[in-house]
Formats: sequence, structure tokens, C-alpha cells
Amino acid sequence: MVELNRILYVEDEPDIRAVAKLALEMVGGFTLEVCSSGQEALDKALGFAPQLILLDVMMPGMDGPATLAALRELPELAAVPVIFMTAKVQPGEVAHYKELGAVDVIPKPFDPMTLSDALRKIWERCHG
Amino acid sequence: MDEDKAAKMQAQLRAMREVYASQLPGKIRQIEEAWAGLQSEWNDETFQTLHRMVHSLTGSGATFGFTLLSEAARALEILVKGLLAEGKIPLSSSHRDEVSVYLKALGDASKNADDKEPAKQPTAPITPHCDANNRLIFLVDDDVALAENFGLQISYFGYTIQTFSTLGEAFRAIIQTPPAALVLDIDFPEDSLGGFNLLEQINREIGYVLPTLFISAHGELEFRLKAVRTGGCAYFSKPLDVSALIDKLEEVTSCKREEPYRILIVDDSRALAEYYATILNGAGMETQTVIEPLALMEPLLEFMPDLILMDVYMPECSGLELAKVIRQQERFVSIPIVFLSAETDMEKQLDAMSLGGDDFLTKPIRPEHLVSSITARVRRSRVLRSFMVRDSLTGLLNHTTIKAQLDVQLARVKRLGGKLAFAMLDIDHFKSVNDTYGHPTGDRVIRSLSRLLQQRLRTSDVVGRYGGEEFAVIFNDTDGATAVKVLDEIRHDFGLIRHRHEKGEFSVTISAGVSGFPAIDDPAVMNEAADKALYEAKHGGRNRVVLFSPFAA
Repeated sequence: MVELNRILYVEDEPDIRAVAKLALEMVGGFTLEVCSSGQEALDKALGFAPQLILLDVMMPGMDGPATLAALRELPELAAVPVIFMTAKVQPGEVAHYKELGAVDVIPKPFDPMTLSDALRKIWERCHG
Repeated sequence: MDEDKAAKMQAQLRAMREVYASQLPGKIRQIEEAWAGLQSEWNDETFQTLHRMVHSLTGSGATFGFTLLSEAARALEILVKGLLAEGKIPLSSSHRDEVSVYLKALGDASKNADDKEPAKQPTAPITPHCDANNRLIFLVDDDVALAENFGLQISYFGYTIQTFSTLGEAFRAIIQTPPAALVLDIDFPEDSLGGFNLLEQINREIGYVLPTLFISAHGELEFRLKAVRTGGCAYFSKPLDVSALIDKLEEVTSCKREEPYRILIVDDSRALAEYYATILNGAGMETQTVIEPLALMEPLLEFMPDLILMDVYMPECSGLELAKVIRQQERFVSIPIVFLSAETDMEKQLDAMSLGGDDFLTKPIRPEHLVSSITARVRRSRVLRSFMVRDSLTGLLNHTTIKAQLDVQLARVKRLGGKLAFAMLDIDHFKSVNDTYGHPTGDRVIRSLSRLLQQRLRTSDVVGRYGGEEFAVIFNDTDGATAVKVLDEIRHDFGLIRHRHEKGEFSVTISAGVSGFPAIDDPAVMNEAADKALYEAKHGGRNRVVLFSPFAA
């Protein structure tokens, strides 16, 4: 199994972005491309060639599901697993996001110390 | 991650937390301003922006350690999201009031943002070491004769007893296989406070307090106090009153698994109803939600909830009216109704109570508060209910209830086929027990028979106290002849139990009469037949079990 290294991370909120960047780079040791909007992600995705995409659900303008749909239009990225991140408020939400094509959902608030492990577990499952 | 890196990480996280905290008032102000703007002029887009801002607090708060903030934001978000999903915009004035209340709570939570409280998931109380099948009792006493006699007596009640005469022996055995309870003498030849010391040692070793009954020749308060301090459940001075001791053993070892609480949630907002359901399910309760207040009756009858949790403000009809309707039906007179509302006006709350509500919880409510107030209500109501259907001396079903049960069970086997037996039991010469030893002793004899029946019969059998010294048993899936066999063993063992009184020990016998389906298929006739058979048992010399036969004289 290829080891997980390159992650494209999309989040509009600066403080969450900062914590997650810290958690993924420092704790996880990943190589990260951080984007602050869905549009920016579309612009950078092909150049960065991520192994995994981590996508906030609720963003102004192009939200998570819309970004996912647009990314799926790019044949080069068709096989790259996408994980949503969101504050889960109701039962049934996770199932809904999986129907949209996400491999999993990371609930917010997340623990910066364990976020990387959670991603690795999902990665292993995708390639298991 | 090495230590150095971890420390660096923690430092950076702390710094981020400070930045987050400093920006928090501004974020809250933005939300409040958006809300104020909506009051003067409604705008769908602004409301959606408000939703997004609140959502972001829900997701970020706890990441930076602000758990309460996340919780308050989540409650507001659920409300807003529900209103959006159900197309309730622009908001009506009552919905606006509700949002305002939640928004205020969010503001308050942000001001107390320095909470260090870790995230807690309310859970149902659990007793990890309670195992109803563990009937193993250890008796530690250097008086071998007493130990033997006592062991024999309590074995009739379905306990397995092991006796130890030295502390060291007992310690090793307990560490290996902790019993359900320990009966422990205090004074040993090798250590005059050996019982206390042993228990302290054991509790340290096994990591929980082993249910322990102390027995001692000392009656002084000093010793009793010491027993309490080491975690003893009870203290009996010698000579031992075995039946009192067994009562206590029964109490400390019984852990009948309580059925999950059933809560019916009535709220016109599906999102909120599901939110409450999630919280209560997390605490081990069963829930059913009703979104349409007018469709309440069917779930009420079918789900048979222990408690109704109801929103006060709903379209079509208010929670208060609905409570009144529920209360007008006799079978629901005693079901607890708890209102949830943003209402803080005391007078309106009292109004709600007079209309049949039992309690008023103010929204937004923290999950653990919701769980604990509901738990307390249901527990009390279940106790009260048990007073209505159970006999106070024995805890068995009372006369009315067991008769009703016979109707139900007989109807069931008639419909589905199968076997059923009904028995009436009576203590022989009970009047003379009361006359010779007094009523308190008589009551103890009744209780010991009730305990024996409960322990020796299956859980599917229904046991009741018919009145006085008379008992009734419904045997499911059992024919008359088998019921006679089972009862005869119980009769034999009951006769061996020594009851204690200051005038001396005595024993008591019982007689029983049994009737069975399909030979008889009417509850009244069945009752009568068992009674006739009991009469025959009495007439034939007592201390026996008789099966009803239509050809008997």
C-alpha cells in the first residue's frame, strides 16, 4: 500500500485552517496544500496531484458538496478519495455525505492530536 | 512524536487558542448584528449567513477547548437549520423569540469561554460488577458450627455458599473469584479487627467495593461505624437473625436489569426532536418522536412511554392543551409530562403545571441536565407505579394485578396454543405463628416464602400475593402435573427453613392446589379449581400439593 503523504485541504475559516495545518504537518508529517475556497481547490488540485482531499462542507460560495462535484469532473482525480469535515449536528448526516461520494466524514470539532491518525485509518481502509 | 515536538505543538496550540478567544467576542457580535438586522428587515440570505456563522462556532469551539460554546452553538444551529429546512422563513414571532433565547445562551457561553470542562457524553449509570447470575456468597468466620448451619439455611434460597475459617484463605479465594457478596466476621484469633482489615485489602486489590455484610459479637457503635467506613452494607450482631440477613443479601446481590426508560418526544421541529432523541438514546433510553401533535394518540397507546417530553409552543395545538387532553384519559392520569420551552416566566410555567404538566425544563438545556432530570422523573414514577400493582410487604404482584395477568395469559395460550397452570398456596397454621411469635415474625415468614418462590420459579412464571398468607402463581408453558412437581420441591425446602424468634426457632409448612389449561379454559373456573384443590390439600392433612381433579369428592 502506498503511504499517505499528499493532502489537499480546503477550509474557509482561518483559525480552523491553522489548527488543522499544524495537526497534519506537525503531528502527521504530511505534505499539505491548503486552500481557502472551493474555487482555489479546483485551481490547484491538478498541479498538486493529491492522494487525498479533505473538504469542509459549509463554505460560502462553492460549498463542500459543490466542490466535490466539480472535482469529480476532472478525470485525473476521479480515484482520489474525498473526506468531508463538518460539525455533525444530526443523525443521518454522515450517510447523506457518503451518498454524495465522500469516503468518510471527520466530525468537527476535532482533536488536533488525533486528526492525522483518523485520516490514516480511513486511508488504510480505502486501500485495504 | 518526540517530547520536544509535542511540547512545541502544545505551545502553538495554546497560542492559537488565545487568538481564537480574543476573536470570539467579535464573532458573536457579528451574529448578533446579523440577527438585529433581520428584526428590522427580513432577508433570507442574511439568515443563511447567520446559520453559517453559528455552524462554524459549533465546529470550532471545542477544538480550541471551548466545549460549552460548541454546545450552545450546536443547539442554536439545530434550531436554525430545522427552521430553514422546513421553510419557516421569514420567521414567525414565536420562532423569533425562540432563536433569541438560544442566541442569548450562545452569548452567555462565549462570555464564560474560559471553561476548561472536558467534553462529556452523558451516560446511563452502570454497575459494572453486578451479575444477576452470580449467586456465590463467601462466608468468613472462625466459628465453624455457625458457618455450617448458616450455609445450609441460605442454600435454600438458591445461593451457593463457600465458607472460610481463616483470613488468608479467604483473601486468596476472593481475589481469584470475587463472590456476589461477602458475609464477614470481624474478630479472628489472629487479628481482633481482622474482618475490617481483610475488606480494606480486598477492595484495594479488586478496585471496587465488594458488597459485604459484617457479623459480629460486638454491638457497639464504634464497631458499626468502622463497618460503615470500610464500606460494609450492613452489620448484624450475633446471634444471627438469618432471615433478616438473607433479606439484606437479596438486596445487595439483586441487580434486576431495569428495562430501558421509554420517552415519547413531542416537538413540531423534527430537528430538535431528533436532537433530544439522540441525547436520550446516548443515555440508554428508548425514544419515539412525534412531529405532528395531533398524531399523538397512536404512539402513546402503542409505545406506552414512561414519560412524555413535550414542546410548549406548537402549531395546531399547544403543548398545554395536549397535556390536558392526555390527562383526561384515565389510563394516562399518572404519566409524567415534562415541558420543554424557552419560557422563563414563572407564572406561565405554573400555568402549565396546573394544566397537567409535571415539570418545566427551560430551553436551551444542556444534554446532561436533560438526561438527569428525565432519569429522576422516570425513576420516581416507576416506583409510584409499582405501588399500584405490587404488594408492599413482598414486592410481588397484588391480588388485582395477578388476576388480570391470569386473564391475559390464559387468553394468550387459548389463541396461540400451549400449556398453562395456576396454583394457589397457603401457609399452614399461619394464625398460630402470628399468635405465638407476633405479627412482625409472621411478616418475615411471608417474606421468606415470597423470596423462595421468586428464586425457585422461572422469570416467565408470574408470582403474586393473593392476600394474607395466600399466594398465587401462574406457570407459563407448564402443565398441571409439572407445576405440582416444582411446587412440591419448594414445599419440601420451605419446611426445612428455620425461622428465628427469641422464644426459639420454628419451621412452617405450606399447602398448594393446582389447576391447568387445557383441562380448564376459563380464568374464573381455573381460580376456583385451584382453590378447591388447595382445600383438599388442607383437608388431607396439610403440607402437600394437590392437582385439581373434577372427579375428586
